[in-house]
Amino acid sequence: MNPPEPVVTEHLQETMEEMYVNMGPQHPSTHGVLRLLLKLDGEVVSEVVPYIGYLHRCHEKIGENRTYIQVIPYTDRLDYLASMYNNFGYVLAVERLMGLQVPERAEYMRVILAELQRIASHLIWMGTFGLDLGNFTIFMYCFREREKILDLFESVSGQRLNYSFYRIGGMPMDFPPTFLADCKAFLEWFKPRLPEYDAVMTDNIIFQKRVQGLGKLDQKTAIDYAISGPMLRGSGIKWDLRRNDPYSIYDRFEFDIPVGRAGDIWDRYMVRRIEMAESVKIVEQALRALPPGEIMGKVPKKIKPPVGDIYSRVESPRGELGFYIVSDGSEKPYRYKVRAPTFVNLSVLPVIGPGHLVADMVAILGSIDIVLGEVDR
Amino acid sequence: MTPEEVIQAIRSQFCEAVKASEVKGVEARMDIDRGKSYEILAGLKGMGFDYLNCLSSVDRIASGELEAVYNLSSLKEPTKALVRVRVPREDPVIRSVVSLWSTADWHEREAYDLMGIRFDGHPDLRRILTSEDWVGHPLRKDYQDERLVPYEPA
Amino acid sequence: MENAVERFYNAFAAWGVPPVVPQLIVMLVVVSVVILFISVSVMFMIWWERKISAHIQVRYGPMRVGGWHGWAQSIADGIKLLIKEDIIPAGADKVVFALAPMVVFAAALAAYVIIPFGPHLIVRDLNIGVLFYISISSLTVVGIIMAGWSSNNKYSVLGALRSAAQAVSYEIPLVVSVIGVIMTVGSLSMIQIVEAQQRIWFVIPQFLGFLIYLMAAIAECNRLPFDIPEAESELVAGFHVEYSGMRFAIFFLAEYANMFTVSAIATTLFLGGWHGPLLPPWLWFLVKTYFLIFVMMWLRWTLARLRVDQLMYLGWKVLLPLAFLNMGVTGLVLVLRG
Repeated sequence: MNPPEPVVTEHLQETMEEMYVNMGPQHPSTHGVLRLLLKLDGEVVSEVVPYIGYLHRCHEKIGENRTYIQVIPYTDRLDYLASMYNNFGYVLAVERLMGLQVPERAEYMRVILAELQRIASHLIWMGTFGLDLGNFTIFMYCFREREKILDLFESVSGQRLNYSFYRIGGMPMDFPPTFLADCKAFLEWFKPRLPEYDAVMTDNIIFQKRVQGLGKLDQKTAIDYAISGPMLRGSGIKWDLRRNDPYSIYDRFEFDIPVGRAGDIWDRYMVRRIEMAESVKIVEQALRALPPGEIMGKVPKKIKPPVGDIYSRVESPRGELGFYIVSDGSEKPYRYKVRAPTFVNLSVLPVIGPGHLVADMVAILGSIDIVLGEVDR
Repeated sequence: MTPEEVIQAIRSQFCEAVKASEVKGVEARMDIDRGKSYEILAGLKGMGFDYLNCLSSVDRIASGELEAVYNLSSLKEPTKALVRVRVPREDPVIRSVVSLWSTADWHEREAYDLMGIRFDGHPDLRRILTSEDWVGHPLRKDYQDERLVPYEPA
Repeated sequence: MENAVERFYNAFAAWGVPPVVPQLIVMLVVVSVVILFISVSVMFMIWWERKISAHIQVRYGPMRVGGWHGWAQSIADGIKLLIKEDIIPAGADKVVFALAPMVVFAAALAAYVIIPFGPHLIVRDLNIGVLFYISISSLTVVGIIMAGWSSNNKYSVLGALRSAAQAVSYEIPLVVSVIGVIMTVGSLSMIQIVEAQQRIWFVIPQFLGFLIYLMAAIAECNRLPFDIPEAESELVAGFHVEYSGMRFAIFFLAEYANMFTVSAIATTLFLGGWHGPLLPPWLWFLVKTYFLIFVMMWLRWTLARLRVDQLMYLGWKVLLPLAFLNMGVTGLVLVLRG
């Protein structure tokens, strides 16, 4: 077995018929610093090669040099639009590694915050997806609602984007006294907003024509590429880790898992659109059942998980967020690996992208819902 | 298929190649020999593990080895599998599993980029997160870089 | 007004000056007035669009500059653009790059010659008025292709090519849609078209033609939902991606001037021009024109962008047959009525 020679550069041979266009790393529709090398035949994309890593900061190496608690703030910077969920996934992995029990009230708090975060994340996605298609107004509508969620988070954690609020073994502090009333008021206010989005986006004939039947991802390819989250559900596979591999207390709540049929952009859009309503249901149930009591479990003063390793996964707004942690018994993780959902989801773009127009390419990329902080780590 | 059955089936087929195995909850864990890694993983795929969740790489510097970890699961059954393959640092080559799970493409490129494990049979083994002209593999424990400032807790 | 010009000419003739001199003077004055009007009107439209978009999007828009609702925002922006550095990319074809905005603006400016603001408020009542507008408006695309090609940027080229395709596709339904009006009036002169609408505005008998004209006109202006030559989320900014400072401002100026022109032509052809009760004619004209501009802005901030092939489909397979249908029916009705 001779090691293969790594290919470093490829020759970009332009012909009279085809040309190469660099979409990104500075481009309004790549949602950050992604670079797509497009081979265009007129306006039709015949080949797409994603180049990632512009935001790479060796997150995993940093994690190996920090104690388990010190890693929490770094997880915020992964998927910076769903920081609560990254915290959740990470502390859950460490708790599973150590076999810690989390108090009831803390579990409910976690679910409430995580589901609010899912709504906020889907709102950003919806707004920016509207921008990709040239609909500017939905962006402002979505940000109006997200602002209120951020206000709630601010009242809880003092932060508006990178919360670092979950702790190994529980939560650092209780909800402020006004939170429950504020949260209920927000939900009551938010529910009538969803039909507003439908009026601007879902029911608009131009929007429908722009997304239906495009960027199809069939079930076989989806599983082959280990696609997860709304993208997988859009392809018609009813798979949600909250239901299929329950963690925390998700098995106590009633909620539906929306699935698509064709696996096109429209299905991914509808899955996220309906998920927002489902998350509202979960938060309402959790608020009703929120028990009093402790919020921090019994945690040793020094977090030193036993020797071993664990792969723990949660359903983040973008898909399966996994943490693979190897412990050597010390205060720092020996190896800390993040299975980023959008890193994996993006890898299918060279398969579903070609054959579409540049304008559809933008829509397909938008429907994957990438966050470069997580892709590049 | 329970994890015990998975281990039994693999052991009966590749008795020598499975160095160690344990069951943890619904997860079947195996340490396997690198010579048979592709065959064993293909066998696991045949048992219904059609979903490669994650492919990680670990630097086992104490024993002078690098380790690739495959997390497998299925969308139909709750059983999971965790497969470890160790390779010596001097000759870090494993057979690529891209032909089994296409998702391994980027995972293997990442493992090559950051840990320096080479995957034989990978269609396009390039650096993915660092730039093309990067020297070294940053996630190795002995990676040295003059720009790297060691963290000293106060 | 025409009497005043006559007297002006006669006075010069009495002094024995050749008639070229007073004609030049009149021309210069008129051009200055038109440019002044365009500048003020465009500044107002930009501020207005920002306010409309803001209120559609639950925002306020500009609130600071100048005090009352940020009325001076456009002036401040204009000054800022004027004093910015003039950047010409190293790989660009410098002459064409510099000429392109001027061509676009000249085309926009020339169209103002035939806009009838009032019974006597028209620069020149050409007997081929509508034809003149149609031919002038096609010139814009030449400037856009110049800009796209000379920038030496792939996104610009794509934008320019899209623009050319779009202009060709939408010019034809635009022309055919106004033929109904021309047939009814029997003249191409703007003044006569307006005067023919004393009893009934053409928007009622020619409603289909009006709708087709409005859609094609929005496409002519490269505005959402037909803004694919610019399409910031796909082509960044299309043909003017390399332009900055004053050159960019001229493109911007031309775009808004075009918007005013197409709305003014629509007012003239379909909405009865300056006709209306109580208010003075020029005010009626402006009210109707700005209402159409408002509709265009409203659409822009509500709809998503069409794709290139959908745009072509709409132009060739929907608008064009409908426009021909409109023309045929109009002709039939005219023949039947004798």
